[in-house]
Amino acid sequence: MKEVLNMAERKTKKEISSTKGTTTAVKKQAPAKLAIGEQPAAQKEARIGVFICHCGTNIAGSMDINAVQEYAKTIPNVGYVDNYKYMCSMPGQAVINKAIHDNKLTGVVVAACSPRLHEPTFRTATKEGGLNPFRFEMANIREQNSWVHMHDQEGSTEKAKDAIRIAVAKASLLEDLFPKSVPVEKAAMVVGAGIAGMQAALDLANAGIKTYLIEKTPTIGGRMSQLDKTFPTLDCSQCILTPKMVDVGRSPNIELMTYSEVESVEGYIGNFDVTIRKKARGVLTPAEAAAKGIVGGGCNGCGDCETACPVIQPNTFEEGMKPRKAIYIQHPQVVPLLYTIDKEACIKCEICVKVCGEKKAIDLNQEDEFVKVKVGTAIMAVGYDIFPIENKTEWGYKRYENVITSLEFERLICASGPTGGHMVRPSDGVAPKKVAFLLCAGSRDNTGIGKPYCSRFCCMYSLKHAHQLIEKMPGVQPYIFYMDIRSFGKMYEEFYYRIQDEGAKFIRGRVSNILEDPVSKNLMVFADDTLLDRPMKLEVDLVVLAAAVQPSADTNRTRKLFGVSCSMDGWLLEAHPKLNPCGTTTAGVFLAGACQGPKDIPDVVASAEGAASAASIPIHVGHVELEPYFAQCIEEKCAGCGMCVNLCPYTALALIEKDGRKVMQVTEAKCKGCGTCGGFCPGGAIWMNHFATPQIIAQIDAFLLGGEH
Amino acid sequence: MEAKHKYAFYLGCIAPNRYPGSEAAAIKTSRKLGIELVPLKGASCCPAPGAFGSIDLNVWYAMAARNLVLAEQMKMDIALLCNGCYKSIWEVNHKLKHHDELRDGVNEVLKTIDMEYKGSINVYHLAELMYDDKIVGPAKIRDSVTNPLTGARIAVHYGCHLIKPRKDREFEKTEILNTENPTWMEELVAALGATPVEYRQKMMCCGAGGGVRGYDIVHALDIANEKLINLKEANVDALTDICPFCQLQFDRGQIEIKEKFGVEYNLPVLHFCELLGLAQGMSPQDLALDLHGISCEPFLQKVL
Amino acid sequence: MAKTKGYPEALETKLRDRYMYGDDSHPEFTDSVEKISMSIPHMCYQCGTCTASCPSAPRSSYRIRKFVRRVVLGLENEALTDPDLWLCTTCYSCTDRCPRDIAPTDVIMAMRNLAFKRDIIPVNFLKTVQAIYTTGHGVPNNDVNRAARVKLGMDADPPTTHTYKEFIPGIQKILDYYKLKANADRIVKEREG
Repeated sequence: MKEVLNMAERKTKKEISSTKGTTTAVKKQAPAKLAIGEQPAAQKEARIGVFICHCGTNIAGSMDINAVQEYAKTIPNVGYVDNYKYMCSMPGQAVINKAIHDNKLTGVVVAACSPRLHEPTFRTATKEGGLNPFRFEMANIREQNSWVHMHDQEGSTEKAKDAIRIAVAKASLLEDLFPKSVPVEKAAMVVGAGIAGMQAALDLANAGIKTYLIEKTPTIGGRMSQLDKTFPTLDCSQCILTPKMVDVGRSPNIELMTYSEVESVEGYIGNFDVTIRKKARGVLTPAEAAAKGIVGGGCNGCGDCETACPVIQPNTFEEGMKPRKAIYIQHPQVVPLLYTIDKEACIKCEICVKVCGEKKAIDLNQEDEFVKVKVGTAIMAVGYDIFPIENKTEWGYKRYENVITSLEFERLICASGPTGGHMVRPSDGVAPKKVAFLLCAGSRDNTGIGKPYCSRFCCMYSLKHAHQLIEKMPGVQPYIFYMDIRSFGKMYEEFYYRIQDEGAKFIRGRVSNILEDPVSKNLMVFADDTLLDRPMKLEVDLVVLAAAVQPSADTNRTRKLFGVSCSMDGWLLEAHPKLNPCGTTTAGVFLAGACQGPKDIPDVVASAEGAASAASIPIHVGHVELEPYFAQCIEEKCAGCGMCVNLCPYTALALIEKDGRKVMQVTEAKCKGCGTCGGFCPGGAIWMNHFATPQIIAQIDAFLLGGEH
Repeated sequence: MEAKHKYAFYLGCIAPNRYPGSEAAAIKTSRKLGIELVPLKGASCCPAPGAFGSIDLNVWYAMAARNLVLAEQMKMDIALLCNGCYKSIWEVNHKLKHHDELRDGVNEVLKTIDMEYKGSINVYHLAELMYDDKIVGPAKIRDSVTNPLTGARIAVHYGCHLIKPRKDREFEKTEILNTENPTWMEELVAALGATPVEYRQKMMCCGAGGGVRGYDIVHALDIANEKLINLKEANVDALTDICPFCQLQFDRGQIEIKEKFGVEYNLPVLHFCELLGLAQGMSPQDLALDLHGISCEPFLQKVL
Repeated sequence: MAKTKGYPEALETKLRDRYMYGDDSHPEFTDSVEKISMSIPHMCYQCGTCTASCPSAPRSSYRIRKFVRRVVLGLENEALTDPDLWLCTTCYSCTDRCPRDIAPTDVIMAMRNLAFKRDIIPVNFLKTVQAIYTTGHGVPNNDVNRAARVKLGMDADPPTTHTYKEFIPGIQKILDYYKLKANADRIVKEREG
């Protein structure tokens, strides 16, 4: 039955390829391409070596390696076949090296894992054997075969044969290619000036690299500057942060651009052209004032304008719990010390302009400015936001006055906060006696409303909150409602021990709902004490929700500018979660801090230093090699229609005059080899290096024709 | 007035067989609001989701599907006035529309009585239609009121099976998807001129469902009793609901609570349709309010 | 019995073997519950949101969380023979709030279905079956109500199976298809004679 089916299939496939006639037509293009001066590689008798990897039992356990090897010997152009337990090991690579010499191979196919893992390894092995490294092709028989067809020995064996036949077809037509080396601009950019961005910028600057630090809010410091104390050491957050803020402000290598956003990014690793929008803050720096000829003018942070301003707004830095004016600084320790006008709120009464007087620092009609800079590498450190926990309606946030978030708790317990550090409940300003902390509020939630992941630092800061209550307000009883306490970091479990010892009560149960007493505004917390196996109803004065975190609001826009991917939940995606945690799939762009996923301060700083180190490497090397996968124009065939120029997403193509007619020209360093132009060109005049039409057609034929030629 | 919206009126059991005033009121008040309710002839029990769902869900699917087919044959969407019926009729319709295997199984049974479920109609609760301003809406209800229930303090019991679980429900008006603190019924109560009153544990169950009222009446009444304590604390003149089974539990339940626990509340319990009838000028006799276990007299004196 | 130390029966109960043994667990129980409930109780992380939401829990030993746990571990006998199984009012508060998107209410319903297969079922459920078999209604009409209906200007019986009795055989066919009536009659007779 199977045989019959195959026959029928083959017949149709033959019909397809014979009626289309594309195979022969396209093959004739290769000489046309050769006319522009490349090696006549494909014309030589191709002798391909096929090397099949067992990957221990990862591959060999799911398929018949001998059957695959015997089959490979029958594939046209195959000059040598071998297999080895671990092809990527030194002896495995030696097998390839020797076989190239002994059998005068013209190309190499390794059937093993994903090219994402070992393509560089085998390219090097191919090169060491004396061939151009681009004469190597990989057949993935692990991720796309043995791992997914673990229980289908026969099927996976057949699929491996197909994969190798296809790879050999391409390898037979591969050509020598030579990577391009481009110089790297000796400057870097860091987007976001929270603790991650600040640390990365300081490291880069200290390594002698000019660094542009871009921050969308008026001051650097980020979330960390909103925190009171930090776990488990209980350092004051501002005390350890402000020295760094000052360093950033003073560093000669850091060009700080606050109240600014990345507007556009062009170019590629080594040569990013970034346009920054400097939002009009309505206030001139002393330097800007000087440039305008105002002697001794510009904002000196005196605050007279703020005192005079009649407009009152909620202060976002204080989570709305304190008022601010339309002209404001977020807190006394801002860097740079420079006022900003909230344009939405300003009524243009010009009182501030008058009180500013001779300094002439205020310009109510200032407009956004655009600044262009060139950098070699960039780091995204755009941070996180708090999940809108009011969406979990059962806990009544924004409905009940005395249900607050942990970030609001931080401001309320902080000596510089809206209450001067007096922990009081919002409804009546009275100090609470019993406080419930709800962990996993919106985290570990698969309902589609909350977030499925663990937010990672809520356990620890909630322990710290309990400690702060006990320390500051003797007699207050904190209750911590938890499912699991995740105290995994250095000295974290010890901190958990300490807080339990200090008297916090831990209740292993998730709070199902909260009801408010309409008169006292006390809260009735319902949970199941799962360890006692009894439902409980606890009246408290204050509830603190350890709300989940999510990527910051602007993350998606910014990541698209830099071509960085994100995962399902919106966090920015690293190149490899274990082995390349700071890199991205866009060369030259790196990630630092919580924009990649929830991280506590130690992890953020470590990640920022990693990203800075990674981002400094190309800059210190001074040049990068670009993969030679760019498009090329076969000028005799180009009709100069220019359609491709408009299609190119990387502005890598242009029309030029040559010999009295228009032809397309590729800026090779800009071309990412995406193939959009090559696939579209009506005259077949675009040759995609390494993914050329004849090479791809040969792969398709090899698959459809099932090895028959 | 020409009715713009026509529905097959699915009655269930308790409304027609215990509180016929609700049935009468539903038909009359709806007509004034532009809804014609056409009798769904030959309908049976939905069947009771707690009782039948507990025994064999397959029977529940098949029996509910039979009722749905009757409406399919009339080519009309269903309107109903009971949360329990909504659970059976709406949810089985929803499940059968989305699970081929389930639908095939049900149709195999229905074939034995020459019926086939096609999935061609939708199911609505009257309360949801009353709140939807594309159909009725609070404004239109307010306009239809001739006898505003001014001064009456009325609390709402939403019940469970219309709105929970919200993740499975689909309503035109997203306000109805709020299961923690809904206020749309209060808007309807206010449209009648009455004062809606909040109380503790508003969203708590009446205690009757899932067969518990039959299995362990003391347990079921204890749940109702907790709600009655909270209602008493809020000092309300009446409780309104949109489910005759909840109504039965709170109304007749008060008599049983008096017997078993020795506490008396005398809190009138009215289906929203009855309340709407009063506001539109129907008399207590038109609504057979004398059939209620708890006398509505003190409340009626306040509003008539 | 010197061993009792003054607590005769209590101590004997206390000293009973309370281990959970591996062979108490029936994975096929977990599978059947998941299939009938169309839910995923095996994903439960025992947070207790269900029990805390449950109106029955504070007034009884009924613990929805423990029932789900029994499903996770395949403890069929322990689950189906526990009389608390019948205290769920199906208010769906647990289902509404479960952070793991499980429908504990439907899990309970599935277990009740499986219990019925073993003849474990309170009689009141079966009486509803009997009522529907004969009248089409779980709560049938009565004389007081008929009189009231007539007074309202309505037909004494509603336009349901009460009026259109020709639909009753169809209903009986559906119930007989599942042998529901026969089983109900048999069990009621066994219990009540």
